[in-house]
Amino acid sequence: MSDSKIRIGVDIGGTFTDISIMDAAGGIITKKVSSTPNNYARAIGEGLAAAFGENGLGGADVAELLHGTTVASNAILELKGARTGLITTKGFRDVLELRLLRMPRLYDLLWEKPPTLVDRHLRLEVDERIDARGNIVTPLNEADVVAVLDQLLAEKVEAISVCLLHSYVNDAHEKQIHDIIRRRAPEMVLSISSEVLPEIKEYERTSTTVINSYVKPVVGRYLNNLTADLKGIDIGAPLLLMQSNGGLTPAEVAAEMPVHIIESGPAAGVIGARVLARRAGFDKVISFDMGGTTAKAALVENGEVTRAEEYSVGGGIMIGSRLMSGAGYVLKVPAIDLAEVGAGGGSIIAIDAGGAPQVGPESAGSFPGPVCYDLGGTEPTVTDANVVLGYINPKHLAGGAVKLHADKSKAALTEKVAKPLGLSPERAAYGAHMVAAANMIRAIKAVSSERGRDPREFALVAFGGNGPLFAAGMARQLGMKRVIVPPSAGVFSSVGLLYSDVEYNLSRTYRQHTRSLDLPALVAAWNALETQATDKLAADGFRPDQIRLRRFAKLHYKGQAYELSVPVPDGAITERIAAQLEDAFGEEHERTYGHRAGPNEPVELVSLNLTASGELDTLRDGGADLAPATEAASERDAYFGPEHGWMATPVISRAHLVGRDWKGPVVIEEYDCTCVVPPGMTASLDTLGNIAIDVAG
Amino acid sequence: MSSPAFDPFEFELFRNSLLSVADEMALTVHRTTYSTVLRDNLDYSTAFFDGQGRMIAQGFSLPSHLGSIPTALGAVIERFKGDIHEGDVYALNDPFHGGMHLPDIFIFKPIFVDGELVAFAGTISHHTDVGGRVAGSNAPDSIEIYQEGVRIKPIRIYDRGVKNETFFEMLLMNVRVPDMVAGDIRAQLSACHVAEVAFTDLCRSYGVEKVKLLGEAMLDHSERMTRAEIAKLPDGVFAFEDYLDDDGIDVGKPIVLKVTVTKKGESILFDWTGSSPQVRGALNCTLSFTKSAAYCGLFSVMENRVPNNDGAFRAIDVVAPLGTITNCVHPASVAARGLTGFRMVDTVFGALAQMVPGKVTAAGDGGNTNISIGGYDKDRKPYIFCDFTCCAWGGRAFADGIDGNSHMFANMAGQSSEVIEAENPLFVECYELVGDRGGAGKFRGGAPYRRAYRFLGEEAVISIRSDRRDIKPYGLYGGYPGGVSQNIMTRAGGEPELYPAKFYNQIRKGDLFVHETAAGGGWGDPLEREPERVARDVLNQFVSPENARILYGVVTDGRTIDLPATEALRARIALERGWAEAPYALRDTPKAAAE
Repeated sequence: MSDSKIRIGVDIGGTFTDISIMDAAGGIITKKVSSTPNNYARAIGEGLAAAFGENGLGGADVAELLHGTTVASNAILELKGARTGLITTKGFRDVLELRLLRMPRLYDLLWEKPPTLVDRHLRLEVDERIDARGNIVTPLNEADVVAVLDQLLAEKVEAISVCLLHSYVNDAHEKQIHDIIRRRAPEMVLSISSEVLPEIKEYERTSTTVINSYVKPVVGRYLNNLTADLKGIDIGAPLLLMQSNGGLTPAEVAAEMPVHIIESGPAAGVIGARVLARRAGFDKVISFDMGGTTAKAALVENGEVTRAEEYSVGGGIMIGSRLMSGAGYVLKVPAIDLAEVGAGGGSIIAIDAGGAPQVGPESAGSFPGPVCYDLGGTEPTVTDANVVLGYINPKHLAGGAVKLHADKSKAALTEKVAKPLGLSPERAAYGAHMVAAANMIRAIKAVSSERGRDPREFALVAFGGNGPLFAAGMARQLGMKRVIVPPSAGVFSSVGLLYSDVEYNLSRTYRQHTRSLDLPALVAAWNALETQATDKLAADGFRPDQIRLRRFAKLHYKGQAYELSVPVPDGAITERIAAQLEDAFGEEHERTYGHRAGPNEPVELVSLNLTASGELDTLRDGGADLAPATEAASERDAYFGPEHGWMATPVISRAHLVGRDWKGPVVIEEYDCTCVVPPGMTASLDTLGNIAIDVAG
Repeated sequence: MSSPAFDPFEFELFRNSLLSVADEMALTVHRTTYSTVLRDNLDYSTAFFDGQGRMIAQGFSLPSHLGSIPTALGAVIERFKGDIHEGDVYALNDPFHGGMHLPDIFIFKPIFVDGELVAFAGTISHHTDVGGRVAGSNAPDSIEIYQEGVRIKPIRIYDRGVKNETFFEMLLMNVRVPDMVAGDIRAQLSACHVAEVAFTDLCRSYGVEKVKLLGEAMLDHSERMTRAEIAKLPDGVFAFEDYLDDDGIDVGKPIVLKVTVTKKGESILFDWTGSSPQVRGALNCTLSFTKSAAYCGLFSVMENRVPNNDGAFRAIDVVAPLGTITNCVHPASVAARGLTGFRMVDTVFGALAQMVPGKVTAAGDGGNTNISIGGYDKDRKPYIFCDFTCCAWGGRAFADGIDGNSHMFANMAGQSSEVIEAENPLFVECYELVGDRGGAGKFRGGAPYRRAYRFLGEEAVISIRSDRRDIKPYGLYGGYPGGVSQNIMTRAGGEPELYPAKFYNQIRKGDLFVHETAAGGGWGDPLEREPERVARDVLNQFVSPENARILYGVVTDGRTIDLPATEALRARIALERGWAEAPYALRDTPKAAAE
């Protein structure tokens, strides 16, 4: 990885594939091309070839290629994964189908469970049983294993998962089955639950293990195609993939354990926000990513991204409440804790039967899209409201690539919303803008105040095509003081990839009272995890000085169902550090929930967790040598609510901020997004090229 | 929606803020609770009221709590009107003083801004134990309220910020798991605290007077939405009867539930006249609970969700004669009334399926079975294992009943077998779906599950509340009924024995208890089911090849279908069955032509 080489970030979305190229000096070139859904790899090859041509680069210049992809989640959502078989403990073949018996919506007789990824006749049982303490109650019947394996082979499965009861405490039987399968079908794609997720709760473990098998052949084929295409343009550099947890992983590792790259897509932007925060000197930021159909928020504190223990593929949108689980496919692997709401530029503005205005969750999508696109859309959307308000350029987007029809936005909004409510079009548009903002504020609260974090102490990092349109107004409502809009905000996820580390998250269930910890056993368990992690990173080519280990422990008051995670200090695990766990947990409990139990309440250690990162030592910090703008600022009328009314608003480019601050109202138009600075706020440019909005002025 | 004081968007923004307060309350309970009943079964609700005690916003809520919280707060206000102060907190659980059944403890906190009472925050949580003769306080076979646990009429548990230690001491002395009950009350108090802080902020930014007007507007808005939804439904009078097997005391004596739904224009009435007099066993319901069942049924057939608040309830009338199982009087026992609630929803669905046939399911498994096993560990410390669980939906006019899903009235989560074993002296021998039980139909009823628990402790008490063992879940429009539930006990070293649907007994080391839920009824004539779907069920062992022939008239081994034979067999069954038209509700499988 020489300093003279370039690094490339590629982020694939449903509509666009974004490419960022960082040169040796840290300068960034971006390129946006249409995605190619029947073979996503093709757009990457073609996009890169074009970008290379435009900038006089070649495949041999590439030091590494970093990649975020939705190929795995799409395989699940579209049910296009491998034909998978499951081998499980006798009496428990339906764990995957029974799920948790819950549904994500109340009063919905139309609800359908997502189809199981393994059909019932491919879920087969073997006689064996291990109890909760790891004792073998019934030895494994190997003849059963052979019989069910033959059955699955006759059914022509492409992949097999093995999940036995209590294998997280004793994996002997799963290992035996593994060996038998390997002997009889050496090439079979195989996932063993005690390897994928050695944690208690059979449904979550089975679901996670099955997903690994289900997507593995798909991910493998995709990576093979991609590598071949890259070779075609002379790129032989290492390929690293973004994981759901926000860390990178080598392509070969991802191909083996694809369960970690399912939510690869949205993670990179959050990591980008984390690095940006560090470079711009903020300990605490909330990332806010708003696109065409959804908006996502995540929290970064002291350089750490908040992570969720488990999530559901296809169940990500908050439906009123985060309590309503039961949608989608459960994955219990660490992922960036994203709160997602169905609010985007395409969200439709309507009036409910009680006469109250609503924004979303119905969306006009990318087709027909907002009314102003003039592609057949008739229902006014959030983008139409922003056009009527003068926030979005009334004639075109993307430097002229997309023509807009502002008059059509206004006509639709007037007829469908303003008239029925007895309001002026701009008042209705402003109201809709505020309701959309309120929906997104709930996502921000979900990752902050609902977790005991006060959003006022955080800066808001806004990106995505629509994020910077709303961010400043939302920040004011939340009492946040500063908004940061990075360069290339519309393609920020691909930029984020350039700033990521290689990362592994390891964990194991370890249930013990904090007052009766078996210290030698605990030390041994930690050491085992650390050895495992450093071995992995060493295999990836990292030197010891590039490796960083962070330990966490999950604890709860005995009887509680949910755990809180607390950091464990570096160094040897001593009596004192063990004793501090209980205290650290109590403090975190008080911070998150507002109270802690008395000193005699038993605290239980539940699991040990390790985050191991390998820091890539390529140059990352580029300067921002933006030349001052040469053309004059233009101006248009924009509406800022009843208080301010219509205001003559300067429309500038980022370059206009070089060397001078601009007081709001001002609209900053860029190729890939538009940033609105309301009256009373001030926009400036920081040394890294970010737009910094001072909310208080 | 508009008023001189605010415009429609301001209204929507306020509503959004208030709903987020109520949700935050719910999350607070969820995250800080100790008990499985709350964490997995979500057996709790949170709500927000105006200063007059009218419910204006509800957080996440269990459907069976819909009507109950306003009633409970009403009882508090009736008792303490004029004597409510800043820093007070109130509690109650007595069914004859605003409550529903004793494990459900309501907690309310009045919220004052500048000395004025402007709102109440309220929570209801199902506590794991509130004393009484049986661990878990859920026994179906108590015959008077005094056996069921500690009764709390509306009482002040904090007086101007000072904790009423006497109350807490008395309560915790009388429950089997005082740490858990105290912890869960703390969770409820935290939720009220969260609401107080957030709502006070809202009042500061909007002004108290405007908040009052906006709250009023939220009630009106919800009422308008509800009436608009009701107006879309066909007018008419629709009656239906369904049954509980018995009350566990008068064994074998079915209990009738009857509802007559009268829908006219924007109004709807649910009249429970004709339902059984209150019973001796603990299946009796308060009016508030009966209302919840009606709301749940109606909400399930509405095209759009309406915001749950007193405004919505203004549009829905519920009548239940006093002294019946749907509106009981003192000293009725009520602990296991949840079962009656499920059956009331089934009854409402039976009536609504006549009004909107395309929208409603046939009967499901009939609502949750409660399994409680309580005893003492080696240190004589009490433990209680408690599971509420259900499984099968009835067939629908457009799709099969779901296999493995909670009843609409509860939406409870199943418990992990691994966690059950890690935390209790129990060994789960199986947890699986059972084939050949789902009612046959053009759309099949959902499959039930079977779970087997082997007891590893020395001795404990087992209390079971189940139903649909005698009277099958009905099928609709020609769909056959679902299979019945079963309780099977195999004593250590003994033979399997069938146990009643409701019982209370000892369980000893090595005993094996197996429960199978009832199955869902089918929808539509099984002879009309696509043969490919039948074959698929055979392949997946939801239907045996034999039953594919007998019930569906389909000749298949799961992979291939003999279409000529199927056609001939279906014709013969239709002839021998001799239906002029498909019967509306079937509780018995017709004698069809087997080969």
